[in-house]
Amino acid sequence: MNPMLTLIRKDLQLTWRDRSNWLSALSFACISLLIYSFAFDLVATDLKPLLPGVLWTTFLFVGVFASSQSFQREWDSDVLDALMLAPISPTAIYLGKVLTNVISLLAIELVLLLLSTMLFDTALLTAELILVVVIGTIGYISLTTLLSTLGTRARARSMLFPVLALPLLIPLLIAGVRASSAAMDEPIGSAPWILLLTVFAIWSTASGLLLFPLAVKR
Amino acid sequence: MVESTVAIETNGLTKRYSGIEVISAATFSLPKGSKTALIGPNGSGKTTLLGMLSSLITPSAGEATLAGHSLTANSQSLRREIGVLAHRPMIYEELSPFENLQFFARLYEIDEQDSRIEDLLRAVGLWQRRQAPAQILSRGYHQRLALARALLHRPQILLLDEPETGLDPEGIRLLDELVLRAPDITVLAATHLIERASSWSDGVLRLERGRIVEATAKPSKTDAPPKIEAPA
Repeated sequence: MNPMLTLIRKDLQLTWRDRSNWLSALSFACISLLIYSFAFDLVATDLKPLLPGVLWTTFLFVGVFASSQSFQREWDSDVLDALMLAPISPTAIYLGKVLTNVISLLAIELVLLLLSTMLFDTALLTAELILVVVIGTIGYISLTTLLSTLGTRARARSMLFPVLALPLLIPLLIAGVRASSAAMDEPIGSAPWILLLTVFAIWSTASGLLLFPLAVKR
Repeated sequence: MVESTVAIETNGLTKRYSGIEVISAATFSLPKGSKTALIGPNGSGKTTLLGMLSSLITPSAGEATLAGHSLTANSQSLRREIGVLAHRPMIYEELSPFENLQFFARLYEIDEQDSRIEDLLRAVGLWQRRQAPAQILSRGYHQRLALARALLHRPQILLLDEPETGLDPEGIRLLDELVLRAPDITVLAATHLIERASSWSDGVLRLERGRIVEATAKPSKTDAPPKIEAPA
């Protein structure tokens, strides 16, 4: 089996066994959407212009909450050293972790899109919107997974992570919101937001691939 | 072509952190099959030296060759030839012993994985507990599992950092049997148990403040005595 597939399989297996992190994130997201649905006047207001913002802030916090712990297990038991000793490239370790996070987060996002469709009575499970969500998710998970390697101490990481991640994610969030609006047939002008989102996803993935070996180097 | 008899060879291996030399120009060579004790007080650089030889820590200067592979130029193929046992076990506690070894066997692309894993788990006395999550096993069992992980891919060279940590007398017996007295494996082991080391080692490297201050070879059990060369 390809080493990267081995890593993904192991990470998915561990994610499934220790579901508490992702289940907490999912619970938080569902409650957020429920609160939004009560906050908006569903009868009188056209919610379509608001929904992209609602969705992306929810996705962002779920992703940041869950992916900030990406390498926690490896740090806690020094398994990262065992992985670095194996005859695989560090980029395979990084990509394996990114893909695991993307798969886990996309599963949650699909649940959230389904829930939003029901709560806000708007069709959100469209191919165009799902494409935007997939590209955006790859973009910000690539970045947050890289940043989760910073600081070997949990305290340092929990302080550094939001300070570094959130400002870097602003361009992605703007592009994600605007591209989602376009996918929902909302007027957004002529800017190619999906292209910007794609460029950000490529940039963050490439940065992760280049910087991860340096981040874990001693 | 004559096969090299040297397993580990370093030349001026140096590590600096913020300008401070933790290892200063370590130069030595260890023959194949030798068992060498790496001794020295706390903070003398034993773990750093082992970290550099295992390719986990990048040297600031110098070069090393392990099993014919250059440390700096060829570290990925070098990793197939070395096994590392540290004082922390480096295992996934949420996985069982069998799953841990299966995961690493796949990473190392080992042939006949299940039989190799079974052999090792039986050898270290964990076969009965192969399906239990590692987190419920004792510290000593973790170290036994780490020993099995280090041996899994049949490395030519083993780098051990205080390998006795957490092991009971039976675990230490297994360590001796599987590693320290195994004829084909080259061992470099950091230890504070100097008296015990004299029972298994062919030679001694003594580090003090990052410098090799003593390199001695004891009479070998083989025909070709191991030779340790200190810098001139």
